Amino acid sequence: MRVSLTILSLAFGAALPLAAQQTSVVGVRPLAFGALFPGVPRAVLRTDPANSAQFDLKGHPGGSASLTFLLPAVMTGPAGATLPLVFGGNDAGFSGSQSITSQVGFDPRTPYLATFTGNRASVFLGGTANPSVGQRAGAYTGTVTLTVVFF
Amino acid sequence: MHTATKVAVLALALVAAGATTAQAQNNATMNVTANVFRPITVAADRNLVFGNVFPGQGAQGMALGSPAAGHFSITGEPSASVSMAFVVSPLSQGANTLPLTLNATYNTVDNAAGTSIVTFVAPTATTLSGGASGQLFVYVAGTVTPAANQVAGNYSGTIQLTVIYQ
Repeated sequence: MRVSLTILSLAFGAALPLAAQQTSVVGVRPLAFGALFPGVPRAVLRTDPANSAQFDLKGHPGGSASLTFLLPAVMTGPAGATLPLVFGGNDAGFSGSQSITSQVGFDPRTPYLATFTGNRASVFLGGTANPSVGQRAGAYTGTVTLTVVFF
Repeated sequence: MHTATKVAVLALALVAAGATTAQAQNNATMNVTANVFRPITVAADRNLVFGNVFPGQGAQGMALGSPAAGHFSITGEPSASVSMAFVVSPLSQGANTLPLTLNATYNTVDNAAGTSIVTFVAPTATTLSGGASGQLFVYVAGTVTPAANQVAGNYSGTIQLTVIYQ
């Protein structure tokens, strides 16, 4: 009887899938365009250490993850004014070493399949803000969401 | 023994079934921010007018506070840093030029007793006023020195002021 119980416990202990181990994605730094002037576009590169957005991921070595951005088309400002944003085909980057200087660029507008080398990685995001000539002055904000599915 | 074997088989089956569908999903949201400054406007409110001047009489001009002095008004983002650059054309009448010397000041209030502009060749850095409206005023005066044989007539030129955010 005692032998049967022991075997059962060991079997359940080994059944925990790798993908269900602790995984996470955390926003570290916002995408900041700073001071903008009406009629003057400003681009932030994904390699900009101060102004690019950064998300830190925790996964499992050798595992894969699908990265999907939900990107805003505009930022919203005073009295409901909107400021257009553009994200291009090379505006996102994945770094398996969490280094902004060592990224693989990808298009943030489509899902990207990344592979973990260690158990941590980072995703960086740039973009372009296009204020109009008559852009209302003031502070503008928007949100970017990164969804990561770990396999 | 037989019971233990059956239990172990059941557990292993659970492991096999779970491995094909195991996934974990996480997401995080980050802000995107910007601050749009007011556009800079530069208005030439008043021309620099020397009026009638006489050959061979030395330097003739006006004080900065004179109604004949030139005046620019600048508006923009309160407390913003800006750079002012001048382009001064010769005072001329056809091929004839009239020697010109300029002096200027700038102030965050409309008063000529401000900070002297040291040179018209290189840009001058300064800051717009704070408060509800960012403003700056520039006063331009000077002297002309007609030669004794200066050709009579109307002489004119331009002073262009460009202001940009820094």
